[in-house]
Amino acid sequence: MVYDSIANALIPTPASNPKDFNKKKRVNRTAKLKQSKLDVRREQWLSQVKNKGCKEENRGTDRPKTRASDMHPSNEGETRTIGKLVINRGGEENDGLMNHYSDWESPSNSPTSHTSSLASNRSVTNFTGGSSSRSSSSSSGGCYSGSMTEEDDGDDGCLDDWEAIADALAADEIKSDHNVSPEPQVHDHNVNPEPVETVKDDRVQVNRRAWRPDDAFRPQGLPNLLKQNSFPMNSERNHGCGAWGFKNAGLTPVPTTCPICCEDLDLTDSSFLPCPCGYRLCLFCYKRILEDNGRCPGCRKQYEQPEQGIATSKLARSYSMIPSR
Amino acid sequence: MVDFGRVQKELQDCNKDINVSGIRVNPKLDNLINLIGTIPGPVGTPYEGGTFKIDIDLPDAYPFEPPRMKFATKVWHPNISSQSGAICLDILKDQWSPALTLKTALLSIQALLSAPEPDDPQDAVVAQQYLKDYQTFASTARYWTESFAKTSSLGVEDKVQKLVEMGFPEGMVRSTLEVVGGDENLALEKLCSG
Repeated sequence: MVYDSIANALIPTPASNPKDFNKKKRVNRTAKLKQSKLDVRREQWLSQVKNKGCKEENRGTDRPKTRASDMHPSNEGETRTIGKLVINRGGEENDGLMNHYSDWESPSNSPTSHTSSLASNRSVTNFTGGSSSRSSSSSSGGCYSGSMTEEDDGDDGCLDDWEAIADALAADEIKSDHNVSPEPQVHDHNVNPEPVETVKDDRVQVNRRAWRPDDAFRPQGLPNLLKQNSFPMNSERNHGCGAWGFKNAGLTPVPTTCPICCEDLDLTDSSFLPCPCGYRLCLFCYKRILEDNGRCPGCRKQYEQPEQGIATSKLARSYSMIPSR
Repeated sequence: MVDFGRVQKELQDCNKDINVSGIRVNPKLDNLINLIGTIPGPVGTPYEGGTFKIDIDLPDAYPFEPPRMKFATKVWHPNISSQSGAICLDILKDQWSPALTLKTALLSIQALLSAPEPDDPQDAVVAQQYLKDYQTFASTARYWTESFAKTSSLGVEDKVQKLVEMGFPEGMVRSTLEVVGGDENLALEKLCSG
């Protein structure tokens, strides 16, 4: 009981943070910056009441085990145990954090930021799920606490960095059935990036196909409806379902290959409508025709009419070659 | 450089529905530049029953330039040279579009066989005959079809020999065969009646 109270006192109070910081220098100097970040984040996290309660409960179950593994039953050992625990926590936090950061911060600049945010949140969820089972099976308290703080931090990060909380929640709901499979891996490793990564890959793959315009779980925060719509088309075409464009035909069916050169139309090509007659072709053939007689292959009219499709500046420039004819 | 990817695809597509269109395109040699196209003579015309071969040469700029096509089979037609087989057809010249294919070009030639344009002739003699004496034109065209475009049936010489054996003079048999367009039964009728 003494340990519990000490541990509980130690962790929530801000006084523990400087101490934590000093120990960490010894353990891992390179993670200094990240640790300070972590501390700030922990303070933020501590202000969240609902998580706090949950955490204290977990600590209570975990503490005796930590102590037993350290084999310092004496009074003197109390502080040592705590100290070591803190060290462990610091180390684990850093490891976990580094992995975590590299996993979910690097793709945040990429267009698939939604995906990665979901992925990170997904991993967090996974750790939460795994923590209860680990508290009973693992003998290393450090490992456990590491995972706990990682969870906290990841959660926090999500709230800070990602606007779309709704996205994350929706992802959790979707992934709840998936939680079962990666968990055994988490059991075996201590704090290992691998569970996170496998989970992430899984998530990305699923997500690539997931967001259809009519998807029930599609987050409202997803920005560009048109763009989102066009991505599945592209991926499906890569998977060999080339007829998607025709199946989805509205007024003018979009061919999947250029009728002139028989090469696949990429995204730019398929959104390129050079002639009011609706005849589509790839940009290469279009340019070639402009150099030649500049007439639409579909209707034989000159390509000079004002464009209705997407006119890029590059195309506008190539238009300037026409007047010679 | 000829777009071989496209040519390959065209050959596949064209030979896929060969039973429907009757139009086929095959490489003449082992390259994809010199091809042979085959079209059946349109039903209801003097060319009916014939199979016409068309030499196809693809220019380097194909499909941005039209394929060069000419009849390898001799044809009696106002818009086709009876000597060289050259074809007068706008889509093979200035009205070519890269959206057209070998198959559509051959279909157009087939349509040209059933709808001659004597006002824009390739062969002036044939065009004159078409305008002034259509019956003669039609029988000549039929005879040429019979003579040159039917590989499976008996050749002209066989028919001549057959009719000569029946006791008709050879000169008369030949002229009668030409008049009726190479149909030996029609010729026999005419010879018997005449």
